Amino acid sequence: MFSAKRQSASEFTFEILISVLMLIICFITLYPIWYVLVNAFNDGEDAMRGGIYWVPRVFSLTSFRAVFRSDGIMTAMWITVAKTVIGVVVHVFFTAMVAYAFSRKELIGRKVYMLIGTITMFFGGGLIPYYLLIRDLHLLDNFLVYIIPAAFSFFDLIIFLSFFREIPAGLEEAARIDGANDFKIFYKVIIPVSMPVVATIALFHGVYQWNDYFTGMIYMNDMDLQPIQTFLYRVVAQSGSNQMLAAMPSGVSVSVTSQSLKLATMVVTTAPIVIVYPFLQKYFVKGFMIGSIKG
Amino acid sequence: MSVKVETKPSTQQSRAGRSNIQVWVQKLIAQRYLQVMALLGVAWMIVFNYIPMYGIIIAFKEFDIIRPISAAPWVGFDHFKEFFEDDSLGYVIKNTIGMSLIKLVIGFPLPILFALLLNELRSMVFKRWVQTITYLPHFLSWVVLGGIMATWLSDVGIVNKILMAINVIHEPITYLAEPKYFWGIVITSDIWKELGWSAIIYLAAISSISPELYEAATIDGAGRGQKMWNITLPSIKGTISILFILAISGVLNSNFDQILVLRNQLNETSSNVIDVYVYQAGLLSGRYSYAAAVGLIKSVIALILLLGANGITKRLNNTSLF
Amino acid sequence: MSKTRRLWTSMMALTVVFAMAFSLAACGSSDDGEKTTEDKTTNNETATTTDNTDTATTTTANADEPGWKADAKDPITFDWYINFSWFNKKWGGDATAEYITKKTGVGINFIVPAGNENEKLNTMIASGKLPDFLTLGWYEEGVRKMIEGDLVLPLNELADQYDPYFIKVADPAKLGWYTQADGNVYGYPNASSSPADYEKYGSNFTSNQTFVVRKDMYEAIGSPDMSTPEGFLNALKLAKEKFPEVNGQPLIPLGLHEFTETGNYSLEGYLQNFLAIPQVKDGKLYDRRLDPEYISWLKTFRQANQDGLLSKDIFIDKRAQMEEKIAQGRYFAMLYQRSDFATQNISLYQKDPNSAYIAINGPANSSKAAPTLSGPGISGWTVTLISKDVKDKKRAIEFLTYLISEEGNKDMYLGEKGVTYDTIDGKDQFKPEVIDLLNKDRAAFDQKYGASYTYWMLMDTNMNLAWAPPSVDPAKQMEDWTKGKSISMSEFDNLDAPANSEEGIAGSKNARSWGKTLPKLILSKSDAEFDEIWNKYVAERNSNKQDKIDAYRQKAYETNVAKLQAFNK
Repeated sequence: MFSAKRQSASEFTFEILISVLMLIICFITLYPIWYVLVNAFNDGEDAMRGGIYWVPRVFSLTSFRAVFRSDGIMTAMWITVAKTVIGVVVHVFFTAMVAYAFSRKELIGRKVYMLIGTITMFFGGGLIPYYLLIRDLHLLDNFLVYIIPAAFSFFDLIIFLSFFREIPAGLEEAARIDGANDFKIFYKVIIPVSMPVVATIALFHGVYQWNDYFTGMIYMNDMDLQPIQTFLYRVVAQSGSNQMLAAMPSGVSVSVTSQSLKLATMVVTTAPIVIVYPFLQKYFVKGFMIGSIKG
Repeated sequence: MSVKVETKPSTQQSRAGRSNIQVWVQKLIAQRYLQVMALLGVAWMIVFNYIPMYGIIIAFKEFDIIRPISAAPWVGFDHFKEFFEDDSLGYVIKNTIGMSLIKLVIGFPLPILFALLLNELRSMVFKRWVQTITYLPHFLSWVVLGGIMATWLSDVGIVNKILMAINVIHEPITYLAEPKYFWGIVITSDIWKELGWSAIIYLAAISSISPELYEAATIDGAGRGQKMWNITLPSIKGTISILFILAISGVLNSNFDQILVLRNQLNETSSNVIDVYVYQAGLLSGRYSYAAAVGLIKSVIALILLLGANGITKRLNNTSLF
Repeated sequence: MSKTRRLWTSMMALTVVFAMAFSLAACGSSDDGEKTTEDKTTNNETATTTDNTDTATTTTANADEPGWKADAKDPITFDWYINFSWFNKKWGGDATAEYITKKTGVGINFIVPAGNENEKLNTMIASGKLPDFLTLGWYEEGVRKMIEGDLVLPLNELADQYDPYFIKVADPAKLGWYTQADGNVYGYPNASSSPADYEKYGSNFTSNQTFVVRKDMYEAIGSPDMSTPEGFLNALKLAKEKFPEVNGQPLIPLGLHEFTETGNYSLEGYLQNFLAIPQVKDGKLYDRRLDPEYISWLKTFRQANQDGLLSKDIFIDKRAQMEEKIAQGRYFAMLYQRSDFATQNISLYQKDPNSAYIAINGPANSSKAAPTLSGPGISGWTVTLISKDVKDKKRAIEFLTYLISEEGNKDMYLGEKGVTYDTIDGKDQFKPEVIDLLNKDRAAFDQKYGASYTYWMLMDTNMNLAWAPPSVDPAKQMEDWTKGKSISMSEFDNLDAPANSEEGIAGSKNARSWGKTLPKLILSKSDAEFDEIWNKYVAERNSNKQDKIDAYRQKAYETNVAKLQAFNK
């Protein structure tokens, strides 16, 4: 800020240019979301006629009411919140811990460990062996299936690694001289100075947890343990099973979901996680590191 | 502590084998906490990644879900042969790699550029708003978004209206019906959706840079462009390299959900990618063995690409995964 | 300091031990998992014998009295898997479900996959453990798998042991049709109509397959005959000239079902049915696709495209886009299943009865034969099976007996007397406010009353005729049009080879090749180009084991015919 006075004319133009560019980007990103909102707040039947671009033509809360009226949506919402919060804490702590150990050059067997991890990024046994594993671990219809199998990710470990490498060695040395062991160094020294990456992975994993419908669909038979995304997926995907159309008698009520209802469901099920970001944002702001080094 | 241990070997080198083991054990004891931390991760991977890996062998068998894998008959490389003999293989591979490479060339640098430019904004409030807004589209489900795009890209859709209003085109085009527009649609919409989201990791990396570096540069009289080029970019080089290596190894992957909602029988020749092909030819009819075989081919290639890219970046700028 | 350190060390050690034990346990039990599937049959037998002695002590099976009545005082909840992702109703919270739970003591926990049904079903099958009841389309590969894998129980044996009354209420023809090679019946169908039903109700049977036009437009161009290629093309042309736009957007002269990777429903069996192309000639399955009448009509569609009468949209639109366009009334004519746009048509009708769609005579063959539409068949729509892991075999078969009985069907359709229905004018029928909600808002109706086969798993669409309210326009007009044109095609059900077999793999490859060919045929620039593409497709198909596929289908067909004849005697 103190350099503001010395700002040259060219730098001022630069600033204006980026600002304009950013405004354009914002508009382009925001418009489709606006489109989603106005169509969700429009009467479903009327919205089907199309052509709603700026404001709802027939304002209606029917779609939202229908979403909240659906069977089990509140339970599903709580399950999602619980699995996201617990899942993030466990995942970030566990993955960061392993990553920290892997980041230390003197770790015996480090190359082998890294190789073991790298292979996991590419090779998997497929759905059925994994399902049998989950069954044998007694994780079917168990809330922990959202947490334990998601507690670790080698991909996230690599991201942690790349950040941990940038930490000045002096920090750890100072703690070691004070007699701290490696685990203590990890959570007393490394975690606090790594808040940007912790926040990043927390966000990535939080969003993963929030958006994951697959675990709920495959491993949960108990509807009361299914998350909100499984619910959303049922509404929006509606594959309609259009094979063998002829076999289905005409009397069956295959609920046709209007586009408005789909959009409203999407809005309701994603709004909570979207709101989280501004709260995490402070960790992406410059200058966090220096505070912890000095303090 | 560990510093002490490391200095020992040099003084006792003459006493060969047994003491080497001793040294090793001592070192191991010294880093017992580290080892426990690492082994917990390894144990997790053994349980959740390695135990199910026996499933890979179904690529060489004819697996039927009602019988255990061990009871499935061996078929050798039949599934691989079938894949390589498929008529559509040519354009499927071309589409997969083509779209991935374009994404790599355009879609990979854009979030970096975006993060760098965003970082130059002075107003903290504005910066936060831009960040938040650009990250929103990531949360739209492709299933829903695909429907919206189909409406927008239809002959009476908003895209045609705008382009005709500004005289770029004179006849409405049904974009999704023309193979030649498909790659463009996929890549543009992907960048649009993920730009802000992908930039987060770079923003995090930028925020880890010590402000002292900038202060020093300011004292040296560096301008903003210079600081960006000489401080910010080198400081996030490590993150960029690692994400680049990972992106290279993913060239055979596609955004399955996105392509599945946008593809149709008219744009088939430019929209079918390996993941969609496997879904249609394998998974839809429960042919897990065939899907596993194609998956295995993909995995092997991805691993080779990763090791290759890793070696190159290691030589070029000394950053690597391991 | 050292204290906390020790604490940490011991905690760490514990965790490691735990983790190791965990992984060992996983290794050990995953082996077990495979064994269980292998030992399944033996397990099964022992289980049956123990259960046998069990029941002997409780109630004695009786062929004259439904077993569910005696056991109704013990509450039980069954897990019931429904293989249709769109089924989003929970059991309970509505008048019908609560009434049935009160009456029979049975509650249901529905398990419905979100998204890809096959993925969920296949993993459950592979794990060897299934929910108590399962309902899926008879045409699904999963039915065959569950039976082959001994994962489901024979209903006939269950009935013999626990509830002979089942045999009393079950339709012998349906049981015969679903009898497997081992002499057992594993599943019971819904919405199924036997040859005897055809004799009894046949004149009222309707089909879902219709050719519809927008009433106002059709009348404005003089209600022309659209059954000949010339008339068809001409009508599309007239409509396009007269109504170039609908609400400011271009008219789409012809609507079809979605083009998928395996073809287009409207342009295959659907069109062949309209052209009354036989499925079988002299006991041999006839390849309808090679019929000259059919090819000439495909060429008519090609001509329509050349004349600018087909919109690009119809090749790329998915169901959601089609629904929007139907709601806007943008199609002039459609070769489209009527139940798929019933909701939209009702709302068009409410706005203006003239803007709704009506069924008319569609494409016909050169001898003007009446169409042979796909009517109800003995296969029905879904089958319901009972898993070998079922909680309580006796209660399960008893509940199934109840559901397929007339009493169960009446409860499922009409709900509770005095609550959802009453005897009005000597006929049991819905109360006025109930039927009003049914016609206005089906979703709200399901939530509140749950009647009218909200739970359709074992509905009998023939019994239902006694209680169903008369249908009203716009649906009535279409239904009436299909009456007398709907025939049973049961003998052609389930002819395809298993997906994993040689014929199955070749068949699905040929199907995908057809899926790529079909749009090319319609979009080709001339009849000559059409023939070229056509010949290439046929050659490709023949070189890819088409003869083997045909042989398999022929054999399956003969088995079907034999079965049908067996219970026709």
